[in-house]
Amino acid sequence: MTVGLRLDEAVWGLLHRALECYRDDPRATAHLRRQLARLEQPLRIAIAGPWRSGRSTVLNALMGEEVAPVEGTDGSGVFTWYEDGAQPAATAYSTSHPPQQLAVAKSATGMRVDLVGWRAGELRDIVVRWPTRALRQITLIDTPPVTGPDEHGRSPVLDRVLRDADALLYLTRDGRGSDLRLLESVRESAVGQAAPMPVVLVLSRADEIGGGRIDALLTARQVARRQQRDPRVDAVCLNVVACSGLLGLAGRVLSESDYAALAQLARVPRPELEAYLLSADRFLRGELPVALDAEVRATLLERLGLFGVRLATTLVRTGCDSRVALCAELIRRSGLTELRESVHRFFVDRRDTLKARSALAAVEAVLRAEPGPGGAELLGTVEQILAGAHEFQELRLLAALRDTRLGFDADLAAEARRLVGGDGVGLAARLGVEHDATVQRLWEVAADAQWRWRERAEDPVLRLAQRRGAEVVVRSCEGMLAELAEGGR
Amino acid sequence: MAGIWLDVLDEIARTCREHGRGDLLQTVRDKRAQLLDPTLRVLVLGEPNQGKSQLVNAIVNAPVCPVGDGRTTLLPTVVRHAAVAAAAVVQAPPSTPGRPGGGTGTVERTAVPLDQIPAGVAGTLRRAGGGPAYVEIGLPRALLGAGLVLVDTPGADEVAALGAAAPAAALNRADTVLLVSDSTRELSVAELNVLLHLTRSHPNVLVVQTKTDLAPDWRAVAERNRRHLAEAGVPAALICVSAALRLRAAAADDRDLNAESGFPVLIARLQRDLAGKGDVLARASVSLVARTVVEQLAAPLRAELASQQAERETGPMSRLHAAQREADELRRCATRWQNTLADEMADLLSDIEYDLRDRTREILRMVDDAFDTADPLVAWDTFEEWLRQSLVEAAEANHEWLVQRCDFAARRVAGNFARYGYDVLPPWSMAVPDDLGDRLPSMERPSIDRFTAGQKVFTGMKGSYGGLLMFGLAMTLAGMPMINPVSIGAGALFGGKSIRDEGRQLLRRRQATVKTAIQRHVDDFFVRMTKECRDATRQVQRMLRDHFTALTEELQEAIVASLRTAKQAADTDAAARDQRQREIRLTMTRLAALYEQAQQLTGARPAAATLEPRA
Repeated sequence: MTVGLRLDEAVWGLLHRALECYRDDPRATAHLRRQLARLEQPLRIAIAGPWRSGRSTVLNALMGEEVAPVEGTDGSGVFTWYEDGAQPAATAYSTSHPPQQLAVAKSATGMRVDLVGWRAGELRDIVVRWPTRALRQITLIDTPPVTGPDEHGRSPVLDRVLRDADALLYLTRDGRGSDLRLLESVRESAVGQAAPMPVVLVLSRADEIGGGRIDALLTARQVARRQQRDPRVDAVCLNVVACSGLLGLAGRVLSESDYAALAQLARVPRPELEAYLLSADRFLRGELPVALDAEVRATLLERLGLFGVRLATTLVRTGCDSRVALCAELIRRSGLTELRESVHRFFVDRRDTLKARSALAAVEAVLRAEPGPGGAELLGTVEQILAGAHEFQELRLLAALRDTRLGFDADLAAEARRLVGGDGVGLAARLGVEHDATVQRLWEVAADAQWRWRERAEDPVLRLAQRRGAEVVVRSCEGMLAELAEGGR
Repeated sequence: MAGIWLDVLDEIARTCREHGRGDLLQTVRDKRAQLLDPTLRVLVLGEPNQGKSQLVNAIVNAPVCPVGDGRTTLLPTVVRHAAVAAAAVVQAPPSTPGRPGGGTGTVERTAVPLDQIPAGVAGTLRRAGGGPAYVEIGLPRALLGAGLVLVDTPGADEVAALGAAAPAAALNRADTVLLVSDSTRELSVAELNVLLHLTRSHPNVLVVQTKTDLAPDWRAVAERNRRHLAEAGVPAALICVSAALRLRAAAADDRDLNAESGFPVLIARLQRDLAGKGDVLARASVSLVARTVVEQLAAPLRAELASQQAERETGPMSRLHAAQREADELRRCATRWQNTLADEMADLLSDIEYDLRDRTREILRMVDDAFDTADPLVAWDTFEEWLRQSLVEAAEANHEWLVQRCDFAARRVAGNFARYGYDVLPPWSMAVPDDLGDRLPSMERPSIDRFTAGQKVFTGMKGSYGGLLMFGLAMTLAGMPMINPVSIGAGALFGGKSIRDEGRQLLRRRQATVKTAIQRHVDDFFVRMTKECRDATRQVQRMLRDHFTALTEELQEAIVASLRTAKQAADTDAAARDQRQREIRLTMTRLAALYEQAQQLTGARPAAATLEPRA
């Protein structure tokens, strides 16, 4: 939607100029070439979070298969990349050895990678190729646990995420202060300030909220909304989503035998069953009135958690009378749908902008780390692109709209947010019309919005920041009109 | 039994007072009051959403603390015994900057209906702008009636935030601290840090692992947690509980379920603590207080000991060393300036002599040239005037140079004293004497042979005689008379020549005489001038020597005096320091004794507390 030089073209040109500038420096050249290649690759989304925040579970839930984690890498600083590939394969990259193929064992619901003969700390990356539709457009990165900020307020894992990923799903149990502080440290450097890495905060393990009560997921959603309204949380992330990775995954990989066991449990009268579902111990060891092997119970508990078993039995009792129905309901309730929608709306839909952002950040990092001749000029270009590209202006306006500092009232802020793509970048989503609206209607709505915001942009009563914001909205509207005109021809 | 630890505590308080540490004294007094108070104050701490409030509820078997899904507890909640259930928000007045804590101001109590407790705990009933507030809830429970007070705190995941919410939740007022961590994960690094921090100041810390109902693998988690605690060196017991089971058991009056919830163990532990508060707990507390106080008191002393080492380098000792260095330097300086003076003077003398000789030679050369042609008879007067003038000029120039050189030499010598920084040139002035011309040896006119007329006649006669005779005789052979015109002419010719020859000879002799005389005169002049120069130089040298010797002596005296005072200061300082060190060591020994005494209360050997000053 940029009328002048398009953002991706500008970034492409910048990368080539940087390559020219650093042609004597093999390291920088290799780094810049990788960035150039990245522009063509799928969007990289890192899944990070503190220890036991459910990173692998959420990753599995997003993929719909049990592929993570690679056993034996827990906490050892290995980044595991999940890419689309024709054949399941896993390659280990270490600092000291040449890349090595790893044995991949397929299981019923996914796969397992054997990590034999590697010492902890030796490995740097494991790239897993897995044929799935979910990875067509994105590459998922499973990261080691994020530790608290060190004395410089930095976290090494997050630093690497900033370098290697385009977007971040940050998992947390409750979005506490230390997590927010870490995320605040993300916005450094010129690129980081003007266009910070997009973050979606995920309240993972939503099923454990409130001690696993039956309405835990609903309250988790309320907590997420409350957090979203908290200006401190809102400042560091685009969205807060409550998602129980465990239930979401269960909904995607639940087998018929699991369903049969659940259905059996559901036949037990509710008050009677409740006593057995009081604690995990009771469920595993108690004398159930129905014949269920201890192994089956352990599998159920592992798959669903105690809360999941409670929920699933209730669901079966109240009408989910087939595996498919139960799975759909589990997925609906787990919040996985919202998570995927967020990923799409905030990350995948904006992938060109995000990749351009990553490339700019990488160029800036190279320029700052190894200042060379012409570096200052290139830095100037980086800032020029940041300041000039309309995509980034939209992102900045979105960030500004998230708190009240612009001073628009709520309705106006919502409209501005929608128009600059805060609710999705499609024309219909931006204009807030039904999905199948005609070009004519789109044109009318867009023209109307443009006219109204144009007036606002020129209204001398408004504050400067508001007029500037309105100008960005007008610019977005003009872009939409241009797109419509092009499509109409 | 209470007597023993009370004695030790009083002893600690006395030591604090002796050291003038009012702050520590206040702490000890607070501790004393707290230990004499029969209630057991249990502080429930932990990260957010670990089930702290639910734990409190389960202990008292009543839903007193609101339990929610996000952050629910924002104000500390104190649950204590009361005849009837009641609740109140207690708010201290806003603390003024000058008087932190604000404990003495009037505390504002607002009674809260029981159904308003959640709002109170969420902080909405607190008056804006007020000081720290807390919610107090009274419950008629036998367990509480025995003296148990439970304090629920807002979740905090950092050491710094612990107990910061309000004085009611202050760490140092707690008798027992429960750190709550749920079973879905192991203890985090942050929690272990908190525990380490807590066990340093609290004798009784428990880790409560909640939500065992939710996690199938809580036993494994507990096992790993115990291992983490052991690895981190945290002497805290771990108790696993499930509040959900306990509340359910209470509702259904199910004894087995209650036992399964793990709460009987926790409550038994709390009751044991309550019963043992006056004895076991108090002893442990006192020994911890002793440790804290002794460490606090010893730290500045230890630092002082260490800093004395450093001071030794900078104090009076260093001044003494500096003075010694100064004296050495002066000694070296004395040798240096003497050498400089001798060298300079020798150079000066030879230079001046050479200069004078050069000038006189020049004059002599000119004299020679002049008297090669000139006749002293004719030119003497002019010449004498010129000679005198030249000699005076030479003497003056020479003298002037001498003065300059002397001045230069004096400055060179004085340069050696530059670092002493004062104006060290002698107050002297040497000038070219005005009467230099008069001092010259007077030159008497040398005796010069004049060619008198008689001598001329005689010489002419003598010369003409030969010519006349020679030509006359030859003429006689030709038959002419002996005296004829020719012979007379020849005679006259010969006579004239003789006179001329004689005159020239005489002139040369005169010239030689004059030259010799002048040479002698100039020699005289040279000798005398040299003598004078030498005298002058020697005088200058002597004067400079005297001046600088006096200066050196003066400096030396000053330095010796400063050396002496420095030495005295160093001596007194060393004595004072030794005295202070003895005092410190004595104090340290006393502190160590006190510490030992306090440690014996618990029967355990003193842990790692290095009180002895490190050598």
